[in-house]
Amino acid sequence: MEETPKQQYSNREKNDIFNLEFLPHINSMYNFAFRLTLDRDDAKDLVQDTYLKAYRFIESFQKGTNAKAWLFRILKNSFINDYRKKTKEPSKVDYQEVEAYYNSEEVDRQITPDLRVESLKDMIGDEISNALNSLDVDFRTVIILCDLEGFKYEEMAKILDIPIGTVRSRLHRARNLLKEKLSAYAKLMGYKNTEL
Amino acid sequence: MTNRNNPFLLANGKKPTCMEMLQLILDGEANHEQHEYFRSHMDQCMPCFKTYSLDMTIKELLKEKCCKDTVPAELIEQIKLQISQNTPS
Repeated sequence: MEETPKQQYSNREKNDIFNLEFLPHINSMYNFAFRLTLDRDDAKDLVQDTYLKAYRFIESFQKGTNAKAWLFRILKNSFINDYRKKTKEPSKVDYQEVEAYYNSEEVDRQITPDLRVESLKDMIGDEISNALNSLDVDFRTVIILCDLEGFKYEEMAKILDIPIGTVRSRLHRARNLLKEKLSAYAKLMGYKNTEL
Repeated sequence: MTNRNNPFLLANGKKPTCMEMLQLILDGEANHEQHEYFRSHMDQCMPCFKTYSLDMTIKELLKEKCCKDTVPAELIEQIKLQISQNTPS
């Protein structure tokens, strides 16, 4: 939890905060949990754990501040502590490599010149969703936070406990990996279409 | 073409690369001035225009295709029940 001065709330105030500031984000929270765990039951458990924790720690939350970022942070920490261990997913990301990549000349290189807007528009099934889900969880996370939920660099840095520079480089790398994935799907679709 | 100052100029006075400008736009961090500047920059920079179109399409598709899940209705009730059971009245 963040180091904020403890608030004092009556039970009624607690319930108001919970109902009016926390619950409205539950669909986003469920979507985030599902994209992290890739399992609907785990996602339900994770959302439930998060909301129970949020209620338990409600006095660390200052009324009227950014509830969504606070909740996302709790959810992400619960995921790391309880679920990542369970699924034993190894972290495949070498951040030093990422930073080195970002600082190199390679950044401006176009990785997927063959991917076209038209082929993306043809992806009417689950291709986009599958491509996102196939990314390593750390890359998946920044795309969800930025592109699906519209969080700012500063909010993402707080949610993920990483510096803003790392948020930027991770997003940049994540976008390129996603494009590589989509490019592979597009090629597959192209082959299929010419066979017909 | 008016000789406007580049609103993307870095703190150290360095001119940002196309990719750095594009990333701020994509990541939702660019301000109004930067958006305007980038829009006119794209008129003269085909690679930026192409990458921008592609990346924005992906961003829009992600939002359209990956946010459809809604939370199971019973979950909200379960959470509320658990809280009321654990709260001393």
